[in-house]
Amino acid sequence: MPVDTKRVRGPDESQSPLVFLPPTAQTCEVLRRPGDRGKGDVRPLFARCGLVSQAKGSAYIEAGNTKIMCSVYGPRETERKDDTDMKSGRLVCDVRLAPFSCQKRGAWIQGSEERDLSLALSESMQPGVCLHRYPRSQIEVNVMVLENDGGVLAHAVTCASMALADAGIEMYDVVLGCALRQDGDSCLVDPDFSEERGSWQAGYGENQGRVTVALLPNFNQVSGLHADGEMREDTLTAAVRTCMDGCHKLYPVVQQAILRAVKRKAPPPEK
Amino acid sequence: MATVQVSEAEKVYVMHGVRDDLRVDGRGCEDYRHMEIETDVVSNTDGSAKVSLGHTDILVGIKAEIGKPRPMVPDEGYLEFFVDCSANATPEFEGRGGEELGVELSNTLYKVFNNRHSLDLRSLCICPGEHCWVLYVDVLLLQCDGNLFDAMSIAIKAALFNTRIPKVHISEDEEGVKEIELSDDPYDCMRLNVENVPCIVTLCKIAHRHVVDATLQEKACSVASLLISVTHKGMVTCVRKLGRGSLDPDSIFEMTETGKRVGKALHAPLMELLQKEESLGKKRQKVGFLA
Amino acid sequence: MAAGFKTAEPLEYHRSFLKENCRPDGRELGEFRPTTLNTGSINTADGSALVRIGNTTVICGIKGELAAPSTDAPDKGYIVPNVDLPPLCSSRFRPGPPGEQAQAASQFIADVIDGSQIIKKEDLCIEKSKLCWVLYCDIMCLDYDGNLLDACVVTLLAALRNTQLPTVTINKETDLAEVDIQHKRHLQINKHPVASSFAVFDDTVIIVDPTAEEESLATAIITAVTDEDEQLCAFHKPGGSSLSAEKLQDCITRAVARHREIGRLIDKVIESTKASK
Repeated sequence: MPVDTKRVRGPDESQSPLVFLPPTAQTCEVLRRPGDRGKGDVRPLFARCGLVSQAKGSAYIEAGNTKIMCSVYGPRETERKDDTDMKSGRLVCDVRLAPFSCQKRGAWIQGSEERDLSLALSESMQPGVCLHRYPRSQIEVNVMVLENDGGVLAHAVTCASMALADAGIEMYDVVLGCALRQDGDSCLVDPDFSEERGSWQAGYGENQGRVTVALLPNFNQVSGLHADGEMREDTLTAAVRTCMDGCHKLYPVVQQAILRAVKRKAPPPEK
Repeated sequence: MATVQVSEAEKVYVMHGVRDDLRVDGRGCEDYRHMEIETDVVSNTDGSAKVSLGHTDILVGIKAEIGKPRPMVPDEGYLEFFVDCSANATPEFEGRGGEELGVELSNTLYKVFNNRHSLDLRSLCICPGEHCWVLYVDVLLLQCDGNLFDAMSIAIKAALFNTRIPKVHISEDEEGVKEIELSDDPYDCMRLNVENVPCIVTLCKIAHRHVVDATLQEKACSVASLLISVTHKGMVTCVRKLGRGSLDPDSIFEMTETGKRVGKALHAPLMELLQKEESLGKKRQKVGFLA
Repeated sequence: MAAGFKTAEPLEYHRSFLKENCRPDGRELGEFRPTTLNTGSINTADGSALVRIGNTTVICGIKGELAAPSTDAPDKGYIVPNVDLPPLCSSRFRPGPPGEQAQAASQFIADVIDGSQIIKKEDLCIEKSKLCWVLYCDIMCLDYDGNLLDACVVTLLAALRNTQLPTVTINKETDLAEVDIQHKRHLQINKHPVASSFAVFDDTVIIVDPTAEEESLATAIITAVTDEDEQLCAFHKPGGSSLSAEKLQDCITRAVARHREIGRLIDKVIESTKASK
């Protein structure tokens, strides 16, 4: 086995204390939400632009306990010459889950989940960015998930589009993301981690699934759609519609945060 | 992924054709290309299948190994997917070139099978919490001519159908030490129920319509596709938007409907074919790779 | 005009400020940037802290896991610190395995932990040669504007003080670990090291708490780590121009003063998070 000499290494094997918990402690109730939050409500969103001083643009999003940070660099020269596109720019997305962001400690090396998220993010963001305005160059979008409490992809999409806007990258529209957990006939919008996973016994029921939609709100175009689980077609259609509604609910918050960042950068002339 | 260069004039030609439900190779919008399936092609696997769809060639081998069940689901086995993009398929895959595509394909497969009905994972359990069967599904891309996802899922379904897992007996001695014994009889084996295994249908949006089983040329004319995996009952297990474009909500709904219809229709003839092939028994003339 | 001067002749630009005993961002030579601290913000970690020194932002998350102690130290647990400089925090870092600077920082933090004995590794042992804690201290830079090491040490110390681990016992009959998630306890912090970094300009002028730009122009960087007993527990001077003993002594005196300042800040933040609970 190759040894990672570039990091401080611990013991070869260690286990999370949660493994040793009695199994009764691990089941969770999915159907009721704490507080007065209804099943169709998104979590209150905290969004801020321009926190990373070194980046061209950056954004931070907090929804419930999910905390995501994104910074944008570029446009700059493409790294690999054979990737250079004469007509349009490249959007390079990199999503990382911090080692302490999940219940179980993650590795430093990018895993397949992170690669999958990076690809999904890139496919969801591309339709929103005017890449033809940046020929021969690349725009880098780096996302760091500080805490994963459900809906990572959806919030990463929202966060990335805020950071792109903050960087002054030309866009057709902001891209907003919303996730949903289908549980039988009921659906939970913007699920937290335990809702997202659900109890595994529930997996044998009908219509169990997760849906994430990325939406360009002004064009009413869906730029990203990811679903897994097992659902009937009509359930899926309804879930996509619900997610789109969820995205629209986020729009004012995101718009305000971007507006505030613009005002701070270029204050309106005093009369 | 392998791509072809298409001129503007060609694009217009393809788009106009699709509008009139007539594609360059004479198919309608919802028709697949000619497909060939052969199972039991690799003798040292527990199940294998080779599918060619147009010029797309895919080989799937399945190996069953005894492993430890996941702690969260002690009474189930599990599947592991690996997609190898051979440099034979296209020079772009040389070195690490195919790695990105391979990860994308295998991640999609995990999502397609991420539900409790596709395959009865409990039948893979040997001894709860201690031993289970792990099915290693290895996909090898031999030739790429568009529509990898669909061809891959069909090949996996065929290979799972072909899979034979040896029966095991658990004996316990006086001290309670368990021992696993494999059956000596090669015909004494377990089959998997593949009825619910989904097939992937990729719909490629071209102009205002969408086509099934797009060739590379057609793919170059489209900016967005929708991948949906459908079971024989019409349940959807995975949806993904692919490509750099966006889709209108209405066309998404149209595409899921088409996907469901096409996917549902795919299962019956496939199962029939697999059963027919099997009924030919050992005397069947093997075609192999020289077809 | 000033912007052009800064880009074309950055060193001259800085010198012109240093001549007047001040720095481009308006600080005096011996002035630290405003430092803020926030603990316990990551719920998935057993302990966490976020520190901002000026623009530099560093987050540390601590996760405890269980492992068997190593055979050569059967009564000791493990502390595994790693510093990551992701491409997110500055355009100078590329994705992929950790670069030289990240490796050096990880090793430095490991040395600080070993040198100062922040936590006695014996305290992490649950049952001799059977079970012990592994503390993964993952430190990640979110915004890189110089003086990484100071920020890393503060965030590590604050996160360790914030850490609560569940109680673990070994069941005598089954010989298996039993975890009680309801009863958590804090770690025993043995020493409180604080780092202070200095940059040397033109082999003579010493400034504290350098920004990223000042770091790149400086002729030497020094980091001194002191504890509450005014003892020096680690010292880092990777090459660069030589320095007289008096100057060095001056740095250490300033580091001691900085320790008091940071110590008060951490105490205050830890107290206030306790009070709010």
